Amino acid sequence: MIVASALCPHPPLLLPGLSGGQDVAADLRKECEAAVAALAATEPDTLVVVGGHGASGRYTGDLSPVREFGGTGQRVPRERALPLSLAVARRLLDAVGYRGRVETAAVAWDASDAELGALGRSIAGRPDRVALLVLGEGSARRAATGPGELDERAFGFDERIHRCLAGGDREGLARLDPALAADLMVSGRAALGVLAHALADTVPVDPRVLYADDPFGVMYFVAVWPCVSC
Amino acid sequence: MLRLRGRHYEAGQALVMAIVNRTRDSFYDRGATWDDAPAFERVRRVVAEGADIVDIGGVKAGPGEQVDAEEEKRRVVDFVAAVRAEFPDLVISVDTWRASVGRAVCEAGADLLNDAWGGYDPELAEVAAEFDAALVCTHTGGLAPRTPPYRPHYQDVVREAIEATVAQAERAVSLGVDPASAIIDPAHDFGKNTWHSLELTRRLDEMTATGWPVLVSLSNKDFVGETLDLPVGERLTGTLAATAVCAWHGARVYRVHEVAQTRQVLDMVASIRGVRPPARVVRGLE
Repeated sequence: MIVASALCPHPPLLLPGLSGGQDVAADLRKECEAAVAALAATEPDTLVVVGGHGASGRYTGDLSPVREFGGTGQRVPRERALPLSLAVARRLLDAVGYRGRVETAAVAWDASDAELGALGRSIAGRPDRVALLVLGEGSARRAATGPGELDERAFGFDERIHRCLAGGDREGLARLDPALAADLMVSGRAALGVLAHALADTVPVDPRVLYADDPFGVMYFVAVWPCVSC
Repeated sequence: MLRLRGRHYEAGQALVMAIVNRTRDSFYDRGATWDDAPAFERVRRVVAEGADIVDIGGVKAGPGEQVDAEEEKRRVVDFVAAVRAEFPDLVISVDTWRASVGRAVCEAGADLLNDAWGGYDPELAEVAAEFDAALVCTHTGGLAPRTPPYRPHYQDVVREAIEATVAQAERAVSLGVDPASAIIDPAHDFGKNTWHSLELTRRLDEMTATGWPVLVSLSNKDFVGETLDLPVGERLTGTLAATAVCAWHGARVYRVHEVAQTRQVLDMVASIRGVRPPARVVRGLE
């Protein structure tokens, strides 16, 4: 049973120390922590984290890959490092002091709808009280100076995601076009698909979008969906 | 050992490669040398300032105006031929990833192919071999040409840059490029964030220790801008600081916008290293 769910982005900027002398993502991190705190406040039996990654799988690593992205800290063996999205989740959970049970899974950016459906249903079908945190973003092609070349289609695609998040529209999220998402460098398509399938039979109550902006050319959403089962 | 245009350069001899863009949209000069006349003026000026090499490019490194191979040739081939005619001894480099462009500019008199996109077109090395041209082998982290970095990450960026560039250099040599004309370049900011470029600078001695001549392209780049929080027009001091560190670590070729200032830094570092006598010493020796 899913008692609450939330979406956060996972830029490396949310890992500690990577933005240098200025805290350039302070506003974003504050809203992410608010979303994660809302999940923690439901006191779930298990907090399930699903993050986008290059390949699907369960990761047993427990260390942050922050050094791969920069800084001057200790390197960690890659086999012990979490995927970026799961490492960002870990950091957010630590930031709000969550000490409960956590299970993590990575889902490939290009995972099939069948895979997303199976993963979502497996989370929905759990007997324990689950809070679900998914990690992913909108398009990285929203600015000429951003990481991807500007593609005007990005704005409509992201607006659609925004409307779905604001309206608790699971079907809309499940129908995001995978090919267009790949073109637009949308990292969150698969994670949002898992969210949509996991909540297929659960009604989001008072869905809230805490953050929707693209300060660095990538669309970040932070959203919380408190849930009741149908 | 480094050999360009048939000339051998001794270890410790640092070369300045001056950027000459035949583009409308490059990040630093923004089209200043798009037309022939100012482009020629720049070549004459940088040669007078002590440039050893000019690096002529027809395509902006980052995203921008689409430039196909034919348009790239229109921008650079005749210009290379004209520069060759006016400066018979000048080492001419062309910044291109395309073999077809490489062939055309070598026929027009280019001596060096600066493959800034890491062997994206594998035939470019064959062209270098065919014309006995030098080749710059760069590390881009596998990006396609003109792609900005998006969350690049490396277990060890220096090790990966060395492995990638040395592999390209060895391949070029296997195809017939003179080992003294295969140059490796960690490619600051290409497929890297500011942290990665800083680490490559800090540990450039590991790259020079491979024995392959190392080129660095630092000039006014974003890693300098982000480190000092300065816009494009205000990065010279930071660029020169990075230049000094790379010189201390033994880089051989410096691809730059500002020639005279770079030359001074390289001379100063060479004297500190003890491989160049000071220009004139009297004080305390009277």
